[in-house]
Amino acid sequence: MIRSSVDRQPWGAILAFLLPAFTVYTAFTAYPVLRTFWNSFHKVLPRSEEFVGAENYAALAQDELFWRAVRNTFTWACVSPLAEVGIGLVLAMALYARVPGMRFFRIAWFTPVLMSYVVVGIIWVWIYNYDWGAANALLRALGLGALVQAWIGDPKLALPSLIFITTWMWSGFNMVVLLAALHSLPSEVVEAAELDNCGWGAKLWYVIVPLIKPTLLNLLVLSFIGKMKIFDLVWITTKGGPLWSTETVSTYVYKRAFEWTSFDLGYPSTIAAVWFVIVLSAVLTLTWLFRTRERLEY
Amino acid sequence: MGMLKHVLLAAALAFSVNASAQVKLTMWSHWAAEKIKRDYVEDAIKRFEAANPGVKIEAQWYEKTALYAALKTALRAGTAPDLFYAEPDQVEYMENGLLLDLSAVNWAAIEPWAKEIWSYKGKPYGMPLEAATVELYYNKKLLTDLGIKVPANLQLDAQGLTDLAKRARAKNITPMSLGVGDRPYPGAYLVHEALLKKLGLQEYDALLKGKLSWSDARVVETLRVVRSWTDAGLLPTTFTTLKLGEAHGYFHTNPGAVTMLVGSWYTSRAFNPPDKGGQPANFPLGIMKFPAMPGAACNECRTLSVGGSYVANAATKHPKQAIAFLNSFANPEAATRWLEGVLVQTGIKADYSKVSGPHAGYFRELGATSAGAKFYFGQPIQVMQGKPKEVFTQVFNNAFPAGTISVEEAVKQMNAAYGKH
Repeated sequence: MIRSSVDRQPWGAILAFLLPAFTVYTAFTAYPVLRTFWNSFHKVLPRSEEFVGAENYAALAQDELFWRAVRNTFTWACVSPLAEVGIGLVLAMALYARVPGMRFFRIAWFTPVLMSYVVVGIIWVWIYNYDWGAANALLRALGLGALVQAWIGDPKLALPSLIFITTWMWSGFNMVVLLAALHSLPSEVVEAAELDNCGWGAKLWYVIVPLIKPTLLNLLVLSFIGKMKIFDLVWITTKGGPLWSTETVSTYVYKRAFEWTSFDLGYPSTIAAVWFVIVLSAVLTLTWLFRTRERLEY
Repeated sequence: MGMLKHVLLAAALAFSVNASAQVKLTMWSHWAAEKIKRDYVEDAIKRFEAANPGVKIEAQWYEKTALYAALKTALRAGTAPDLFYAEPDQVEYMENGLLLDLSAVNWAAIEPWAKEIWSYKGKPYGMPLEAATVELYYNKKLLTDLGIKVPANLQLDAQGLTDLAKRARAKNITPMSLGVGDRPYPGAYLVHEALLKKLGLQEYDALLKGKLSWSDARVVETLRVVRSWTDAGLLPTTFTTLKLGEAHGYFHTNPGAVTMLVGSWYTSRAFNPPDKGGQPANFPLGIMKFPAMPGAACNECRTLSVGGSYVANAATKHPKQAIAFLNSFANPEAATRWLEGVLVQTGIKADYSKVSGPHAGYFRELGATSAGAKFYFGQPIQVMQGKPKEVFTQVFNNAFPAGTISVEEAVKQMNAAYGKH
């Protein structure tokens, strides 16, 4: 009698290995997500739960503050990845080209990512202080006193100022990943380009970037997802103000869940559910757009 | 062996009797960083435990934001403490039946307005320890240096404040220390005290409750007056990021400002020793009334709010003991101890003339600013709920006094928040 390959699977071992991870995933990821969707159709109070149908979704569609938070978050998630990855690539190229003091620069540029958003936020609130912060002090020292600003106090400047912080913080991370990608490039391809008298610019654009494209795209998507969820930095520095100019969807969900005088978790769940769908769709779209059509062969 | 058995049995019995006699109440409170308030409450706990040997109270201290977030989760999960800190604007606690009815407390010892503020559907729910008026403190020396004299009625007019701002700026001094870096209300003092005076108690109440449009000519006129103050450079350049604690130091120590508009709880920090954040010894602290508004309905009107209070969890297993503890604050002695120790007004009835100690004179001056006053109970963010509250905070705590939006835009935002266009 011939036993099928299915019968030969070691189901006991498979279950033993999968069950812990499956249990943790179900309890801490799948259930909260499903429960959030469930809550979004209810008014959820401490001692009662009332089905309200699509009422929360209808209210959300009319919620100007939510849409302002969406605009801010999307702006951040679109601008930041390009800036971080772009600067990270330039820094990585500088180290790849063995600039003088590269050991120092490698550490200095990477250090910001080792700090938590809380520490970074506090440091930058000081840097942005109007009277004695380093940013305005530098401008005054350079004779550019007319450019002194309330960087995170002015609604027009607050969001760009926060985007600058995340760019400063994460460029070093992108640099390290890209530097690893550069070092893994096949030397013969780069050398062939050099033999063809290819300049640095052309070599970067026509040879290096295509070769490290998968890494670049992964970094862009990772950064995009990170910014779509950003909370800590905003909470430490501006709490979404002034005038909601730095409100992100995460800070708005928190405010609606814990700071508005209501115990209802239904509406905050609706925001979270809608945002989950938006982020998921955006990531799937990016992945589809960035998919590598042809495999690179070295 | 038999002897040992009896000894163990007796010990076990003694332990179980002791355990059943001992009631432990848990309490979560704000004021982790405000030592004199914490000292007062810890002293009250000791007194209560001494008077009630079977009851122990275990207090845990938080900062307000962390406390509120923890309580929201704990109350929902049924793991909240027996007693906790709350403020009267947290109506959601009462709406959801999460607080114990405190009708059994000795309310004769509590100010009627404080009881009213803490009442919901006819029942009281909070022990109003802390009360505060909005006060305009000033540095007597700096004001004299500017050549400004406080009138006998302790009240400048609106033009007088503009004049103060201009004179101070001319000498490179900040006219008023105020910062909104970590609080949702200090920047709004300017607007709501001005509006209260201009409109009077009833119309102001109607405005906050959405029954009077923010386009009302009196409202717009008042906002223009406030704008004239800020345009004259009244506030620090760091207004939007200056934190509350920093604003205190900014006023009395570095760099020093002429005035500071703040709740009367200013002194609970300022009367600490200088090395603990207090104002310098012999600091020439003065108090005057908020400026009179032109054409005002009630220049004697001012805001009185109840702040830090204690409530009992409706789900406590020890309601009698919880109420008994809260009731231990409801007497004149506890009120006097609060005044002398914490140096802030209280919702408990107190005889301010009996306050002794180095700051007794301060309380006489504080009393003078409230002489003949009519009070509106609660700051706007304690009266408003939901979106109007959020918009008021963003607009009038921050953007409007910072000068980043116009009077017209501020009015438009508020009307939209109330669904008026």
